[in-house]
Amino acid sequence: MSAMHLEGRTFFKRIDWNYAFAIMALNLIGLINLYSATHGAATSGTNRLFVAQIFWLLGGWVFFFLVTFFDYQIILRLAWVIYGLNLLALVAVMFVGKVALGAQRWLDFGFFSYQPSETMKIALVLVLARVMSQVSYTNGMGIKQLLMPLTIVFVPFLVTAEQPDLGSAMMLLATGGTICLFIGIRRRILVTAAMIVLLTLPVAWKFLLHDYQRDRVLTFISPGRDPRGAGYNSIQSKIAVGSGRIYGKGFRKGTQSQLEFLPERHTDFIYSVLSEEHGFLGSLITIGLFAILFSLGTRIASQARDKAGAILAFGIMGILFWHMFINIGMVIGLLPIVGIPLPLLSYGGSSMLTTMVGLGLVSSVAYRRFLF
Amino acid sequence: MATNYLANAEEAKEYQSRYRWIYGFIIFTFTVFTLRLWFLQILNGAELRQFSEQNSIKETKILAPRGIIYDRNGEILVENLPGFEATISPQYVSDLEKTAEAVGEVLKMPGAKVMTEVKRSRIANGPFRPVRIKENLNHEEIFRLELLKLEYSGLDIKEAVLRSYPLQGNGAQLFGYVSEISKRQLEIITKKTGGKSTFQQGDIIGKSGLEEFMDRILRGKDGISVMQVDARGREATPDNPDLLGMVNGIQDAEPGNNLILTIDKDVQEAAYRAFVDGGRIGGAVAMKTNGEILAWVNAPSFDPNEFSRGIGSTMWSKLVNDPDKPLRNKAIQDHNSPGSTFKPLIAVAALSEKLITPNTLVACPGVIRFGGRPYHDHLKGGHGNLVVTQAIERSSNVFFYKMGIGLGVDKMFKYCDAMGIGRKTGIDMGGEVSGLMPSARWKKDNLGEEWQPGENLSVAIGQGFVLTTPLQMAVAYNVIGTEGLVVRPMLVKKILNSANKIEKEFTPQVLRDLSQPGGDVFVDKKVFQTVKEGLRLVINGERGTARGSRLPFIEIAGKTGTSQVMNFSADQIYSTCEARPKKQRHHGWFIGYAPADKPEIVFGILAEHSCHGSSGAAPVAREIVRSYIAKYHPEWLDRDLRKKPGEVRKLSSPAAALAAPRPAVDTVGERIEGE
Repeated sequence: MSAMHLEGRTFFKRIDWNYAFAIMALNLIGLINLYSATHGAATSGTNRLFVAQIFWLLGGWVFFFLVTFFDYQIILRLAWVIYGLNLLALVAVMFVGKVALGAQRWLDFGFFSYQPSETMKIALVLVLARVMSQVSYTNGMGIKQLLMPLTIVFVPFLVTAEQPDLGSAMMLLATGGTICLFIGIRRRILVTAAMIVLLTLPVAWKFLLHDYQRDRVLTFISPGRDPRGAGYNSIQSKIAVGSGRIYGKGFRKGTQSQLEFLPERHTDFIYSVLSEEHGFLGSLITIGLFAILFSLGTRIASQARDKAGAILAFGIMGILFWHMFINIGMVIGLLPIVGIPLPLLSYGGSSMLTTMVGLGLVSSVAYRRFLF
Repeated sequence: MATNYLANAEEAKEYQSRYRWIYGFIIFTFTVFTLRLWFLQILNGAELRQFSEQNSIKETKILAPRGIIYDRNGEILVENLPGFEATISPQYVSDLEKTAEAVGEVLKMPGAKVMTEVKRSRIANGPFRPVRIKENLNHEEIFRLELLKLEYSGLDIKEAVLRSYPLQGNGAQLFGYVSEISKRQLEIITKKTGGKSTFQQGDIIGKSGLEEFMDRILRGKDGISVMQVDARGREATPDNPDLLGMVNGIQDAEPGNNLILTIDKDVQEAAYRAFVDGGRIGGAVAMKTNGEILAWVNAPSFDPNEFSRGIGSTMWSKLVNDPDKPLRNKAIQDHNSPGSTFKPLIAVAALSEKLITPNTLVACPGVIRFGGRPYHDHLKGGHGNLVVTQAIERSSNVFFYKMGIGLGVDKMFKYCDAMGIGRKTGIDMGGEVSGLMPSARWKKDNLGEEWQPGENLSVAIGQGFVLTTPLQMAVAYNVIGTEGLVVRPMLVKKILNSANKIEKEFTPQVLRDLSQPGGDVFVDKKVFQTVKEGLRLVINGERGTARGSRLPFIEIAGKTGTSQVMNFSADQIYSTCEARPKKQRHHGWFIGYAPADKPEIVFGILAEHSCHGSSGAAPVAREIVRSYIAKYHPEWLDRDLRKKPGEVRKLSSPAAALAAPRPAVDTVGERIEGE
C-alpha cells in the first residue's frame, strides 16, 4: 500500500470536517448578521460592503484549502523568511505607510491596503513553532531558553506599538506569551514576571500609553466621565445586547443598530448587532460555535504528528481566541473598548483573509495528523 | 515512514498534559460570557428592551460663562446677562419642513434657511445636538414659540448667556466683542491644533480687543449634560442606573477667569465723553507713569452688545466700511506722522549731544533755505531768537530744522529709538503696529536709496518717514516726564479665577532707565528737566500753543502737533484747514502728562481731521486730567496755581522777554509744518 494510494483514498476523509463545518457555520452567521448591519435605515444604494465581504470569504476558502493541502513542514522551513519579510514590511510602514485614523498601519498597493501587523501574528506563530519544537524543556523554560522567543516576540511588538497600533501589538504579545506558557515556563520565572508587571504597571500607565488609551481604560472604570466618547459606545453596546432578550428583536429589526446608536457596528461592534437581533439564543449559539471551533482546534493540536504542528495549531487558535475574547468581552461590557475585530464575523478583507489562512494552517496540521 | 511518524508522536506527547487546561479555559470563558449574556439579556433584558425602545440621547451643552472684566477698582466693565435662544433638536422633529416654516414665521426668517441649518448640523454634529436657530429672543418671540412647542416636537427655548458691555460704545475696541466662531476660523484652529481643538460650530469666541487677545483666559470650558430621554424628550432613568454604569452624565461647565484691568472706569468715561461730546474722531490712551493704562478710547465707536445679540450683515458692513474706522484700536493699530509732538524728543537728542545748551539762542526766521529750497516756519515772520524751551512752547519749526541739520538722522534715531519710537510697546493687546523711526541704514536696506540731508529737516519736526501710534508717543513722553524711565504699558493687572482668587498678577515693568549711565543711550536728568520746562510752557506759558486747555488747579505739560493727511500745493498751504472737506483735514495730536513737575499720568491723544492739536486733542487731555485729579487728588481741586509767583521760571531766558509779543494763536501756528 503506497502512501499515494493511502492519501488518494482518504483525501476527503483526512480533512477535519467537523472543524471545517464549525468555521462555515460561523461564516454563515457572519454573513447574515453583516447583511443586517450594513442595511441600516440610513444606508442606501447597493450594499458594497456586503458584496465585498462575500468575495473576501470565497477568497478565504480558496486559501484555506490551498494551505490545507500544503505540507505545513515546508511552510515552517520558510518561517524565518516569512518572519523577516514581514518585519521589513512593518518597518516600511513607518516610513511610507498610509496614515489613517491617526496611525500609520497600512501599506498602500493601490487596489488594496496591506496591514503587515495582521500577517505578523501568523509569522510569529510560525517562527515560534519552528524554534521551540526543536528543543525539549522538561522542567519548563528558564531565563536562557526564554531569551530567544522573547526577542522574536518583542521586536515586532515594539515596531507595531510605535505605529501606534496598540491593539495589534498587544495581540502579538498575548499570542507569544500564550505559546510560551504552553511550552512551559519555570514557576519561579512566572512569579517574578508577574511581580515585575505589577510593579511597572504605574510607569507604563504614565509614560507608555497615549492619552486616548488612558481615557478608554478610565472610561471603562467609570463610563460617566466621558459620556460622549468611549463611554457612550460601551453604554449603547450594553443596551443593544441586553435589549435582545431571549429571542432577539428579529433580523434587521434591531433598533440600536438600525438607528445608528451603535458606532462601528459592522466591524468592532458586530457582535452587539447579533445579540440585539437574535437574542440570548443567537448569542449563545455563536459563542458556542466559537467554543467548539477552539476545542476542535485544540484537539487538532493534541493529535499533531509532531511538536511543531502542535505549537502551530495551538498558536493560531491562540490568536483567534484572544481576538474573540477581547472583542466580545468589550461588547458585553466586561473589558474596555479596544479596536479589535471579531474573527469571521466582522467586516474586513485583511482580517478575513488572515483568519482563513491561519485556519487553513491548522487544517493542514489536522490533514497530517495520526488517524488512530 | 511509519516509524518516523511514531517517533514524532512520542515527541509530540510531551504536550499532552496541557490540553486539559486549554479545554478548561475555553469552557471557563464560554461560561463567563454566557453568564454575562444571561445577566444582560435575561435578568435585565426586559428593562433594557424598554430602554432601547425609548433610547434617545439628549445632549445639552452647558455654556461656560466667560470671565468678567473689572476696572482697577473692581467696577464691572464687561459681564454676562441671561438671554433666551431658540433651538431645534433634529432627532425629535417629525416634519422638518413644517417645523421650519412655522419657526421661521415667528422669528421672521425664511423657513428654507432654518431647514438647511438643521440639516447641516445633523450631518456635522449628529441628530442629538440641538441646533441654535436664533439668539436673544424677545418676549413676543418667546411667547409665540412656547405655543409652537406644543405642536412641533424638537423645538425648544433655552436659556443662554449673553455677553454684556454696560459701557456700550465706550472702550468697545479695547474690550472687543464676541460672536459665533466662523467656519474659516474653525478650520484654521482645527488645522493649527492638529484636529485636537475643542471648538465646535456655534461656539462663542472673542473676536477683537481683549476678548480676542485674552480669549483663552476669559473662555471657560463648556460642560455637557447627556441624558437618556424618552421619545418625547423627557428624561428617562432606568430603575437600576448602575447597570449601565452611566445614564445621565453631567460634565459641569468651568467658568472662565475674570480680569482686573488697569483701566479706571471714571477716567475712561471722561475721555470718551470728551471725544463724543466734542464730535471728535480718533483715539486716546492715558496711563499712569508706571505703565498702567487708565483709559483707552476710540471714537466713533460701536456697541459690542450688538455682536452678542447676533449682528446683522447690514450693520456689519456699515461698521467695516465706515471711513472713521470704528472697529480699530487707533491707539496701537494706526500710525501717523507725529508732527510737532516729535519736537521734544529732538530737543532731548540735541541737548544730550551738546548741540545746544538750555541757554543757547537760536535764530528762528520765518524761512530757511537748505539744499537750494525753502523750509517754512508756521509764522511767516519767524520767532526771532529762541532758546530750546521757547522753541518747544511756540513750536518753532526753524529751530528744529536747525537741530535736525546739526544732529543728522542717525543721532536722532539713537535717542528716539531709545525712547520707544519705531518699536512695539509690548502692550498686552493684539494688533499693535511698530510705527517707524527711520535711519540712514533703514532707508538703504528698505528703499535702496541713500539718506538725503534734506530729510533730516522733515524728521526733526516729525514728518517724512516718521510714524508713531498714540500709545508709543505716550510712552516716549513718559520717558521725559519721569526723567528717563521707559515702561512697558499694560492693561491687565490681575487674572482671577471664577471665585475671584488671584491666579496671576502682573506688575508694571521698567524696560530701561535712560538716566542711568551704562546703557546704550544715556541722557542726563538735567536734559529731561529742560525739555519738561518747555512742555510746561506749552500749556502754562504766555505764548504756549495749548494755553486754552489750562486748568487752574494743576499744571499740565504737553505738546500739540498736527499730522498732514495729504500734501497740498503752495497756494493751498495757507488756506484754512477747516475750509477743506473733512477727509483732507489734518489730524491733531496732543501728547503730555500731569502734573508738569512730577507727573502721575501720561496721555497720548490723536484727534483725526480736527485740524489742530490744541483745539482737537488738548481738551480731551484736560478732561482726562480733570477726572484723574478729581478721583485721586480731590484736595487739589481747590488750588489755584495761577496766583502763584512761580509763573515765570528761572529757566525761561531773558530772550523770552525781549521777543516782541505776538498773539500765540495756534490755529495759525500749526498750519504749515513740514513742507
